[in-house]
Amino acid sequence: MLCAAFAEALAARRQHCNAAVAAARRAWPGFDQHAFGRFLAEQADPVVAAVAVLTPQRVAAVVDASVGIGIELAGQRLLDASPRGLALARAWSGLAPCCAVQVAQSPGQVLGMLSNAALHLAALPGVNTARWQADMAALAPLALTLADLRALGQVLAWRAGAAHFRQGALAALDALPPALALGVVGASGSGDWGQVRAALRDDPWWRAPQDEHGASQRIVGAFAGLGGAFTAPPLLRAAGAHAGGASFVVRSGEQDFALHADAHGAIVLPARTGMFDAAQDGAGDENGAAKVEVDWQRVAPPFPAQDCAVCASATTIAIASPYSHAILLVARASSPT
Amino acid sequence: MNHDPFQKISQAPTRPHAAATPSRFDVADLYRGPVAGDAAAAAAAPALDEKLRQAYFWIVNRAIISPHYDIEYHAGPPRSHMVGDTRRTLTLPSAQSYSSFVLLPLLAFAARRKCLFIGGPGRGKTASAVLMGVLAGIPVREVRRAMQHGHPQMTVADLLGNPLPADLLNARRLDEIRIAWRAWLPMRVKIVDEYNRIPTRTQSALLTLMGDNYAEQLDQVFECPESAWYLTANDDQGGGTYPVIEALRDRIDVTVQALAFNPRFLDELLLRIEDDIRPEELVPRELVFSEAEIDAMGAAIRAVSVPVPVRRRLEFFASQFELCETAGAQFEYLSKDTARLAGVPLRELGAADNGRDRLADLGCQSLNGISVRQLGTLLVFAKALAWFRGNPEVDLEDLRQVLPFVLRDKLQPDPEAPFFAEAGNTALRSDRISWLRLLFDLASAEYERLDLDRRDEVGEMAATLARGLDGLGERETAARIVRIEKLVAERVKGRKLYGHLADDLLMLKYLHQRYTNYLAWLRAR
Repeated sequence: MLCAAFAEALAARRQHCNAAVAAARRAWPGFDQHAFGRFLAEQADPVVAAVAVLTPQRVAAVVDASVGIGIELAGQRLLDASPRGLALARAWSGLAPCCAVQVAQSPGQVLGMLSNAALHLAALPGVNTARWQADMAALAPLALTLADLRALGQVLAWRAGAAHFRQGALAALDALPPALALGVVGASGSGDWGQVRAALRDDPWWRAPQDEHGASQRIVGAFAGLGGAFTAPPLLRAAGAHAGGASFVVRSGEQDFALHADAHGAIVLPARTGMFDAAQDGAGDENGAAKVEVDWQRVAPPFPAQDCAVCASATTIAIASPYSHAILLVARASSPT
Repeated sequence: MNHDPFQKISQAPTRPHAAATPSRFDVADLYRGPVAGDAAAAAAAPALDEKLRQAYFWIVNRAIISPHYDIEYHAGPPRSHMVGDTRRTLTLPSAQSYSSFVLLPLLAFAARRKCLFIGGPGRGKTASAVLMGVLAGIPVREVRRAMQHGHPQMTVADLLGNPLPADLLNARRLDEIRIAWRAWLPMRVKIVDEYNRIPTRTQSALLTLMGDNYAEQLDQVFECPESAWYLTANDDQGGGTYPVIEALRDRIDVTVQALAFNPRFLDELLLRIEDDIRPEELVPRELVFSEAEIDAMGAAIRAVSVPVPVRRRLEFFASQFELCETAGAQFEYLSKDTARLAGVPLRELGAADNGRDRLADLGCQSLNGISVRQLGTLLVFAKALAWFRGNPEVDLEDLRQVLPFVLRDKLQPDPEAPFFAEAGNTALRSDRISWLRLLFDLASAEYERLDLDRRDEVGEMAATLARGLDGLGERETAARIVRIEKLVAERVKGRKLYGHLADDLLMLKYLHQRYTNYLAWLRAR
C-alpha cells in the first residue's frame, strides 16, 4: 500500500506515467510491469514517505524521479532477486530514506547516484555492500551538500573493501569538512586531519586507534570453480608505477590481475595482458632488498608454509602457495622479517 | 526522464575492445551506471569516433529500417552457407559489421565528401540525406526547404540565386549588380534530390559548386564553405531526364544503393505509422555535431595512418587497369585514356593485343583506369572507416570494404571481357560491388604470389631517392643510375607487359631522370 502522498502524486500524473510506461514497453521488449509496480510500492514508497515528512512540496519532484529511474531499472532488468537487485532494493528502501534531505534537494541526482553505487559495489568481489549502506545511512545526515554526500559515498565504498578506490577516496576525504573526514575514518578523537591524512597516505595499513574496522592481514583469491577469479594457483610480482595503484600483479593461468590491498579490503581485478611480464620479479622487495623472511608462527597462512612464494612491496607482504588459489596479504610493519 | 525509444542512445561502448582494463581506477566510477539521473557523474562527452558510432547505431536501430550488413568484418572464420540453385553464399559475420546505406553517408558526413544515393523510388534515399542534415545541427524544416529538387526546367538562377531587379535596372557596371544568393549555399550539408533531372546547363553550375566550392553569377562570386553533399538518383547510369555530364559524375566520391526493404520488419513501419513518428524530427540532441566537431573529425580522419603494406597493395591494385599496350607508341601513352581521347574503341585495340592472358589480366575486365582523384577518395574513406572503427591505422580490410563504393561508378566493367562469360561470373556484370571486391581480392592474391612485400626493389630505390640528394657525389650518383638501368633491363627481359610492370618501369624512368639531372648539375658546377 502506497503512502498517501505517493498515491496522490501518482494520481495527479497518471497520464504522464502511463505514457512513460507505454514508451518503455516499446523501448524494452519484455519490460516487466509487475517488477516496476513492486519497485514503486516497496522501494520508492519509503523514500517518498520520508521526503513527504520533511518537505511535502518536493514530493512531486521525487515521485517523477522515482518513476523515471524505476522505468530505467525495470527496462534493464535490474529489479530482480539477484545479489545486485537485492542491493539495489536495500539502497532504496533502507538507505535513500536516510538521505531524504539530499533526495528532496536533487532527487534525480541523489537517487541515481545511490542506485548506480549499489549496483557497482554489488558487482565487486569482496566488497561489503551491506556495510557500505549501513555506514552511509548513519553518516548521510552529516553531509550538508550533495558534493559532501558524493564524497562520503566514495570514502565509505573504499572502507567497505573497494581497495582500488583508495587514492580517489583519500582525495574525496580532503573535500569533506575535517570533522566529518575524521569521523568517517574512525579518528574523531584525533583532532588533526592533516596528521591523519599523512598517515593514511603513507601507509595503506594504517588505522586510527579508535577505528574498529580494518585489519592488518587479508586473504584474497579463490578457485574460479568456486566463484573466485583464479584458474590456477597464482604467481606474484610487485606492481610498478604503471599498475594503476595496485600493490601486486598476479598471474593465474593465462590471465593477469591487479591486486589492491590495504587495511580495509583486498580486491583482485582483471588487468591488461602483459602486465605481469612488465612487472618486476617478486622474489625480493621493490627496493631490491634481500628476500623477505616470514615468521610463519605469527602470520598463520591458510595453506602449508613450505614452497610458498613471498613477494613484498614497501608496505605489504604477499604470500602465495602452489597448493592454494588464495593469497595472504600482511601489513609489512606488523610482520617480523 | 524521457523513455521515448527514439531518444535512446546506447550508453555501452559501441566498439568495445578486448581487455581494455583501465590502468588507473577512478573513484568517480562508483556513480557511473545504468541510471542516467546523476548528471554530475554522467560520462564526459564521448570521443568523436564514439559519437559517430552512436549516431550510426541510432540511425540503424531507430531511424532507417535497414538491417543489411553488407560491409562484413570477421574476428575469426565466419559461418557461411550456400543456398539456391546458383549456390549463393550467406555469410554470418563474426565481428561488428555494418550497413553500407548508413555507414558510407556517415563517413561522407564526417569527412565532408560527396555521396550519391541510388535506388528505386520510395527506398529512403531522401530521408537518409535529410538525416545527415539534421546531424549537422540544421533544423529539419530548414533542411527540407534548402534541399534542391532536380527538374527539367531548373535554371542556374533557381540553383544559385537571382540578381536584384533594382540593381539590374540601375547598374552601370556588372559589379554593381547584387545577387540574392540562395539560402542553401552556405550550408554545411547540401542535398540535391534527383540530380539527374537537372538540365545540362544547370549541371555545369552545379559542377562548379561541387568541384570548386563557389557559385558565380554575373561576375559575382559566392564562396561556399566545405560541405558534405548528398545527391539522389533513381539510377546511376546517368539516366533520368538529362544525361549527367561525366565531370559531374566524377565529382561524386561514393555511391550507395538503397537496398530492398525486408518485409519481416513491417512491424517497425507499422509502429511509425501508428505513432505518427518521423525519425528525422527525433534525432537526439546528443548526436548532433557542431561545426567545430565536424572539423575535428576531418582532422582526426586525415591523421589516421596508412601502413606501407596496405598502401602497396592499393598501388598494385590501381596499376592493373590503365595500361593498354596497343593504344600508343610512346611508353607514357600506353593507356586506355589515350584510346578514349582519340575516339578509338577499346574493343578494336583489344583484338590486336595478342599473347596476354585475358582472364588473368585484371585490366582486361575494365574499360578505364583509376584516376588520382579516385585514389585520393579511396584513401580518405579508408581512413574514415578505420577512424570510425576506433583504430589508429588503416587495415587492409578497411580498404577492401570501402573500395567498391568509391569505384562503383568510376571503374567501368567491360561487359565483353571473357571474365564475365565464365561460369559463375555472370552476376558480376550487374553486381558492381561484388565485382570490385573480387578484383581487389584477385589483385591482393597476385601481390602475395609475387611476394612484393619482401621483393620491391623499385620501392627501395624510390625510398633511397626520397632520403635526399644532399651530399651525394658523382660516383654514387652514377652508380645509382647504373643500378636503375640494370633493373630496367632485367624487368623487360622476355616479359609480357602488365599494368604493374608498366608502372614500375615508369617509376624507374622517373628515378633515372632525377639522378641524370642531378649528375649533370654536379658536373656543371
